[in-house]
Amino acid sequence: GYTADNYPYPSGSGPYDVYINAIYGDLRSYNVHADGFIVATSIRSDDADKGSTASDGGSDVITMDNFPVLPNNGRGNALWTGYYGMITKCNTALDAIANNTNIVADPAVKAQAEAEVRFVRGYAYFMLVRLFGNVPLIDKVFADPAAQSNVAQSSPDVIYPFIEKDLTVAAAGLPMVPPAKFPGRLTAGAANGMLAKVYLTQKKWGAAMGVASAVINSGQYDLSTPYAKIFSEDGENSKESIFEVQATASSSRKTEDGIQYASIQGVRGVNDFNMGWGWNTPSPFLEAAYEANDPRKARTILYASKAGAQSRTLYNEIMPLYPSEVPNERYNNKVYTNPSFRSAVNDRGGWWMNVRILRYADVVLMYAEAANETGATQEAIDKLEMVRARARAGNAAILPKVTTTDKTGLRLAIQQERRIELAMEHDRFFDLVRWGIADDALHAAGKANYLNSRDALLPIPQTQIDLSKNVLKQNPGY
Amino acid sequence: QNITVQGTVTDAADKSAMPSVSVLIKGATTGTQTDANGKYSISVPANSILVFSYVGYTRREIPVSNQTTINVSMSSASQDLQQVVVVGYGTQKRRDVTGAISSVKGDDIARMPATNPVSSLQGKVAGLTVVNSGTPGASPTVRIRGINSTNSANPLYVVDGILSDNIDFLNPGDIESIDLLRDPSSIAIYGLRGANGVIAVTTKRAARGKTSINFQTMFGIQHVTNKIDVTDATGFKKLYSAQLSNLSAAPFDFTNYTGNTDWQDQILRNANINTNTLSISNTGEKSSTLLSIGYNNQDGVVKYDNYKKYIVRLTEEISLNNNIKVGGNITGFRFTSQPSPVSLNSAIWASPIVPIQVNDNTYYSMPSFQRAQVGNPVAALNNRSNVSVNGGYRAVGSIFAEVKFLKDFTFRSTGYIDLGFNNNRSYTPLPFRFVNIGENGAANTTTFDQTARTSVRQEQAEYRSFQQDHTLSYDKTLEGGHKISAIVGFTSIYSASTTQSGSRSDSTVNIPNSPDFWYINVANASNPGNFGGAGSESSSVGAFARVNYSYKDKYLLNATIRRDGSSKFAPQNRWGTFGSVGLGWVVSDEDFFKSIKGIDFLKLRAAWGKLGNANGLADNLYRPGISNAGTAVFGNNVYSSIQAAYIPDPNLHWEVVNGTDLGLDMRALDNRVTAQLNFYNRTTTDILTSLPIPNDSRSYFTNLGKITNKGIEVSLGWNDKIGSDFTYSISPNFSYNKNVVNSIGDNINFQILGNGGVNKTETGNSIGYFYGYKQTGIYQSTADLGKMPRMSNSLPGDIAYEDVNGDGVISPADRTYLGTPFPPYSYGLNVTMGYKGFDMQLEGQGVSGNKIYTQRRTSTFAVLNYESNRLNAWTGGGTSNVEPILDNSRGNNYLFSTYYLEPGDYFRIRTAQLGYTFGPSLFGKTGIQKLRIYVSGQNLKTWTKATGYTPEAQIGNILGGGADNGVYPVPAVYSVGLNVTF
Repeated sequence: GYTADNYPYPSGSGPYDVYINAIYGDLRSYNVHADGFIVATSIRSDDADKGSTASDGGSDVITMDNFPVLPNNGRGNALWTGYYGMITKCNTALDAIANNTNIVADPAVKAQAEAEVRFVRGYAYFMLVRLFGNVPLIDKVFADPAAQSNVAQSSPDVIYPFIEKDLTVAAAGLPMVPPAKFPGRLTAGAANGMLAKVYLTQKKWGAAMGVASAVINSGQYDLSTPYAKIFSEDGENSKESIFEVQATASSSRKTEDGIQYASIQGVRGVNDFNMGWGWNTPSPFLEAAYEANDPRKARTILYASKAGAQSRTLYNEIMPLYPSEVPNERYNNKVYTNPSFRSAVNDRGGWWMNVRILRYADVVLMYAEAANETGATQEAIDKLEMVRARARAGNAAILPKVTTTDKTGLRLAIQQERRIELAMEHDRFFDLVRWGIADDALHAAGKANYLNSRDALLPIPQTQIDLSKNVLKQNPGY
Repeated sequence: QNITVQGTVTDAADKSAMPSVSVLIKGATTGTQTDANGKYSISVPANSILVFSYVGYTRREIPVSNQTTINVSMSSASQDLQQVVVVGYGTQKRRDVTGAISSVKGDDIARMPATNPVSSLQGKVAGLTVVNSGTPGASPTVRIRGINSTNSANPLYVVDGILSDNIDFLNPGDIESIDLLRDPSSIAIYGLRGANGVIAVTTKRAARGKTSINFQTMFGIQHVTNKIDVTDATGFKKLYSAQLSNLSAAPFDFTNYTGNTDWQDQILRNANINTNTLSISNTGEKSSTLLSIGYNNQDGVVKYDNYKKYIVRLTEEISLNNNIKVGGNITGFRFTSQPSPVSLNSAIWASPIVPIQVNDNTYYSMPSFQRAQVGNPVAALNNRSNVSVNGGYRAVGSIFAEVKFLKDFTFRSTGYIDLGFNNNRSYTPLPFRFVNIGENGAANTTTFDQTARTSVRQEQAEYRSFQQDHTLSYDKTLEGGHKISAIVGFTSIYSASTTQSGSRSDSTVNIPNSPDFWYINVANASNPGNFGGAGSESSSVGAFARVNYSYKDKYLLNATIRRDGSSKFAPQNRWGTFGSVGLGWVVSDEDFFKSIKGIDFLKLRAAWGKLGNANGLADNLYRPGISNAGTAVFGNNVYSSIQAAYIPDPNLHWEVVNGTDLGLDMRALDNRVTAQLNFYNRTTTDILTSLPIPNDSRSYFTNLGKITNKGIEVSLGWNDKIGSDFTYSISPNFSYNKNVVNSIGDNINFQILGNGGVNKTETGNSIGYFYGYKQTGIYQSTADLGKMPRMSNSLPGDIAYEDVNGDGVISPADRTYLGTPFPPYSYGLNVTMGYKGFDMQLEGQGVSGNKIYTQRRTSTFAVLNYESNRLNAWTGGGTSNVEPILDNSRGNNYLFSTYYLEPGDYFRIRTAQLGYTFGPSLFGKTGIQKLRIYVSGQNLKTWTKATGYTPEAQIGNILGGGADNGVYPVPAVYSVGLNVTF
């Protein structure tokens, strides 16, 4: 048999990497972090609009913007199959780690592999529980594959402890730093950071502070990366990065090793500006939410040129004219690609752009939020200031330090800071729901159909209910 | 007193002279034979009766009545009970058959304007459903007696003994006859292969006792009669403006969109079809030879589409002595094809407001609202036409030796080969330049996609199959009326296939647009490429025995047993034994029947059989196999991964088919009436089903479920003459099939969803039925919403659905059975007339009881051109109770419902043909025996409510059938033809 030392895998991979690599592959899949992900986490929020031309995307996407989403929504079903497909791969890998006697590996190697897989499984369930609420808990490989058809849903009361367990095991077993050949590979920091968000969502403030501080105190991360650089190609896997879906492309493999994430949000123009679908455009409500002269605004919102007001990209290209050359006034600047990459790959779709799922400023703000709720006001103020200081980039005239010690006032300031710092980064809708302000915020943003008792969760996809032959039950209100 | 009678005997079908016909005086032993020119002379009593007979032809008795010249025309016994039909590893007289077997003459196929012989079977046989495709060279979808499996419903083809999945390689002009074996007692001898029915093809053999040359040619024009009715520019502008207004969006600026293009007209054309066959046959004392060459050429009705077929056949039989015969045949087949580069959907979907092109290299692109999804169809057509070199070869042959010994025994060994080789090369040219028409005040801009690169692709696929059959048969007629015919045999088949493909694009120098350069090595090896390959092999082996026994020709027994093994299953599940019993009773030969007048022949049949089905199942599904999974990326490093290609079920075994058949064959009123009636009841259990695992994209095959097909088949015929010159026949056929899924995964609470949930297969209903909401109307007003059942978000202008469960609201629980995609009723009618040299044929064909899903209308991802039904869209109270409001954000209206279904019933004038045959007398010494010319029309007129290019139900997909996604038109064909024999 093989041992970990001589196992015939390339480039220093571990013995279970044939399974684990497939799971990483799924993180880039269309159904996991591309179309449905963007639509459900961002277009549903008040910060983004559907974009593109009025009818593009059809009822599937228009209803994600304007509610209610219908049970036959294809994006909902895609998310379900995307995350559950990834969970199935995780269960297969865990089964191999535990039971495959053909692979001989050190207990430590097994423990690390298990930790890595359980991070992804925990993360997938965290997405599912926030998107759909009651979901079936599938945590093993079924002897009879057909039995999967009829697993009943578990309530979030059951799902959340399961997520916490997976992520806790992951945090204990994962390394602090990825091996040199594996930039962006999962770490203990990613597990603790994700766990912080899981606790925060459940209002477990103390627990959230505990794991957030484990990240903060790990010494692996800081806020030294300029805000403008974090989202660029040269900002990938920076000191800011905690969990970043890795993607790459070359002229010979333009899409296979990449993700369609940037392309879906790319500028919808012609010729050189035919970069994508033009979906997920920053809303006027987000635009209005910035404090005066906040430099983060320009890094988040890419403006089309208008008659008499030429706009330029990060790379000094002249933007096409709205409305004659592009159908939208604003695009997501955080996914805007570097022209030198476009030229090298010979493609405008930006499939090489990594997806930033969790970054250090997010963890710092989570800590601040939890600290404020537990009465550790000064700690909250300090953490908030860390983020604002970086945004200020040395310009003392902007973004004054928040000094209020009023719990509510500070809560609002932290909420506002999350909105701005993490704008277009897929947390806004979930944040509105967990803060209990979704009705107000979305109605204020013109989404009059939003009904929190129904629309906070997506409908369980009708296709899945049908496949289960009605074992799965629809969410309330649908 | 004796007189001398003389005359000529001719073949009624082709007016050619018949040599070697026996001419006897009835009741006497004296007689003569016709000479090489079909002439005879005999001295007979003036009041005697002459009996003319020839093997395979209907016997004729003619009173002399003092005539001195008696010319006789003899009809081939194809309708006759003496006709021989294929029964699997042998033949049998139709009279003795105990199963349901129907035959179609090769001539009826050869004179139809089609390059694929199967397509001409449509409507001819009860119980056989043929769905044609207008795509040149495409194989039709064939179903025999309904759908017996969720896995594959394709029949088995047996061509002169060799088992095959299709007969695309055959020239219609080379077929002697086609026998359709439908019931379990006829197909049990094929073991694991025949369960979906068998289409047995017998190719032509050298004609009797003479040298003959036959040439057939047909030329036709194909024309699309039903275009899909879409809006023109005015209609489009009106509807899109209304939609934007309903979406509260800004109006679209149509200022610069001045086109009014009918995109369908731009890509469709009248297309030629041409088939030719030249055959030369010779029969000597000890050998017979047939050489045939064929050439078929079919253009598609979509521009640039073309398919060509070249066929060479050689059949040889040599009798070494009276007991030993050897022979063989080989068919060489070559095809080339030019597939159309444009999808019909793009022509249906493209907005009509766009002009076509500026010049040969510059085209207009679609407006911004559909530019990303729909391309200019003409640009696609012109850019991508003639950029591929596609073709293939197939060689199918056999060699046999047959020894008769001990008087009653025959041993025959046959070896078969079937080799296929397909080779495609294609080229991706640089795109055209596109003009983006300026919107909202912008000027036109011209685009050329700088990132596009030329590339070439090569593909090779190879297929090989080897089959051997060894049979020992025994034929004996014993005293006392016992006749026994028995056969034992051994057979094995090995099949394997491999494919390789590769493509490489160029990153620096454009590859020229010339076939001379379309090889992968034209692009430097450092350029990006993609390469693939696959292969598989399988084998099966079987031993079989069959006994046919008859007593006094009245009581018939047929019993078959076969033991079969297939490598597709795990070793412990590989072997099975199947069998059948058939009984026949020729009632009309009983004494008590003699008093019944008018009925010439009556046979009652009953048959039962059990067989296995492994059709259409991929090789080695019991083993997991490995496929590549997604790559992992870390930084710029890429790591590969694997996963099991599917989830294996090690207990996988074949489907088990049990069937019973009751039948009746009758001939009456001096053989003017023929009738065949069949009732069948067939059950498939342990159905091999691909079980969708909800959380896994991989498939899982397992045995579950039970399906029953019951049906009736009726074939009637009436043949008569009026006067001495006018003959006519009328032959209707009708079949009804009822399909029920008795169970499917009952222990796991399961049903199969097809086509995104539109089709459902579940216990208690027919397979793959349409499942959705029933439209009751349109909500006309908010008042309507208050008093009618509705969804929580229903609005005026939305489709109102029926509250099936009566709970006062519309919910997914209100979805219900909406119909079946598979026609339960099908029928055909064949009328022939003959007057002297003229012949005329009228054929009609239709189906009934099914529904068609207009899926091409359901796309919501972009604004597509509207079909003209949308001109009636609801615009306010009372404006429409059928067509919902134009608003693609209203998802309720895109739920699958009866709104998207239309009746699939149709009746079609399939063929109208008028021919004239010139007899040998006209041609004197030119050597021409017979010459027939004809004009023909196919698919001349169709009566249907379906709105697509063809109402033929798309039933190829078992679990998701019936969807019309812009299916290729089945055109009308106007043709002329010639058939000449020397």
